[in-house]
Amino acid sequence: MENAVIDAHNISKTYDPSGIPVPAIRNVHMHIAKGEFVALVGPSGSGKTTLLNMIGGLDHPDSGNIIVNGTDITTLRSNDLVKFRLHNIGFVFQAFNLIPVLTAKENAEFIMLLQKEKKAKRDERIDLLFKQVGLLDKKNIRPAQLSGGQQQRVAVARALASKPQFVLADEPTANLDSASAFNLLDMMAKLNSEETMTFIFSTHDQRVIERAKRVITLVDGQIVSDATPLQY
Amino acid sequence: MIVRLAWRNIWRNKMRSMVIIASVTAGLFAGMAIMALYKGMMKSRIRTVIDTETGHIQLHAKDFLGDLDPTLFIQGDEKMIATLSADKSIKAFAKRTITAGMVSTPNGSSGVSIIGISPQEEMNVSGLGKKMRQGKLDWPAKTRGILMGKKLAKKLKIAVGEKVVITMTDTADNLISAAYRVQGIYQSANAPLDEVNVYLSRKDLQDMLGLGNQVHEIAVTLHDDTLLHSTVTRLAHQFPFLAVESWKTLSPETSLMAETVDTLSYIILVIILIALSFGIMNTMMMSILERRHEIGMMMALGMGRIPLLMLIMTETFFLTITGIPIALATGTIAIEHYAKKGMDLSGMGKEMMESFGFETMIYPDFPSDKIGFIIALVFATALASSIVPIVKSLRMDPVSALQK
Repeated sequence: MENAVIDAHNISKTYDPSGIPVPAIRNVHMHIAKGEFVALVGPSGSGKTTLLNMIGGLDHPDSGNIIVNGTDITTLRSNDLVKFRLHNIGFVFQAFNLIPVLTAKENAEFIMLLQKEKKAKRDERIDLLFKQVGLLDKKNIRPAQLSGGQQQRVAVARALASKPQFVLADEPTANLDSASAFNLLDMMAKLNSEETMTFIFSTHDQRVIERAKRVITLVDGQIVSDATPLQY
Repeated sequence: MIVRLAWRNIWRNKMRSMVIIASVTAGLFAGMAIMALYKGMMKSRIRTVIDTETGHIQLHAKDFLGDLDPTLFIQGDEKMIATLSADKSIKAFAKRTITAGMVSTPNGSSGVSIIGISPQEEMNVSGLGKKMRQGKLDWPAKTRGILMGKKLAKKLKIAVGEKVVITMTDTADNLISAAYRVQGIYQSANAPLDEVNVYLSRKDLQDMLGLGNQVHEIAVTLHDDTLLHSTVTRLAHQFPFLAVESWKTLSPETSLMAETVDTLSYIILVIILIALSFGIMNTMMMSILERRHEIGMMMALGMGRIPLLMLIMTETFFLTITGIPIALATGTIAIEHYAKKGMDLSGMGKEMMESFGFETMIYPDFPSDKIGFIIALVFATALASSIVPIVKSLRMDPVSALQK
């Protein structure tokens, strides 16, 4: 598909944790274009996180291909996948996953440091992002002194710092109260439109689903609908 | 970033890190203290050998030391004396006449080395006068006096003023005996030598052996230990008909002991560090397992194997090397203190130490020549300790780590 950031062809994944095969993803086809704001929804065990992990190069499909910006990531070797993730994908996790011994700013610039970006460029980018996420005055404090919502905003800043091709967010509002969740969604929607950043997030949260521009529903590892929130 | 993150990571659990840093400090301190003590003991032993037993160098007729044959005396000693007197490296020398014999008393007899000496020369070379416990290092003109070691006197149950009979073979192979009165009893730091060396007037012994003015041994002391090799080489060149030997050859057991003790102190340090490495490794493993989720997250974000390896290795290095300056500082203070004051080890067994030729007051010597090696060993320990934690972290799968 033209302009596709992500093009998944017929991907399947089966887990076999105790000798009994459990299909997690079955023959999924999916195309996501640049600048989309996509929610992956479905009940627990429907395969949302597995699909995100495979799109993010953290997990391998048993069959099928995942092409990201023209690169088939299913053929990449382990070290190349690490580099690919570093330069192309931003991750936001449910549990924030900030490094507790680093300040908010240091957490946010972590990926840029791995990319060996110059200090001036890092400072400029982090200041801009912290301004966008509303934490400019808190950039030098450690995560333990921030609220859950603030920590998740730092995590979003970290995901966006290196200007990735797309951001994968696994249930980003699951640990947040309503006010924090709305703030985060507003901020992500704003970044989506201002930076033309592609967001793909798995969620159960109806508040998130309502903000999405496209909702993909998974049941038992298969896409059962692909629609706008109003159609969902 | 790696360095900053590693440093902060080791302080996440302050108590645990402090315990391991304290262990490394204590281990290094112990290693340095042992090295300093051994070095002090060996320096003391070598000093004793040079200052009171052999001198720096001895000259003999070739083959004399094999069986102390009294006919193997030094030829042409007058010219030699002039040469030795003119040598600027030489501080003093003592001429000795030596033979093997027997000392007998009503309580028993013992085989001995009978050494004819000049008291004044011995004062300058072997310091025999300082070792006198009873009597004096002097021979009244008309009295035949003998000096014997405390251990031999005890063995023969003899006291100052009592008579002994010495028996020996002269240069014409005649068995000769003479009565001597115990003039004094000495005690050195080397008990085995005290049991076999007895001293007479050199003139008396020369007369009994029929030697005239000839001597069997010239013991030489130098102004500085560092002149040893060059002086031995020079004297050997000047007197090719003589055996010119340094204390290292004359007392091979001391030279061997010095090398052995040096190796032993390294072995002890290595054992200490191996024991510590298990503690360091265990601490790092606990730290990594506690941060499994975080490490998985960093891998997911794009942290490759090399930065992760560097992070774990740097943390291990910090845990290990933080103790080095503390150990060096405390070790230096303690060793310098005892280097001045001395460490009295007589409580550990005075007789046992003397039987090995060691003084009981030891002045530890800071092993400054080994500091580089010690630090290199500590770095090697850190490297070795980091291997298992590194392998463990590199084998982590980010997906399963994130699920923990």
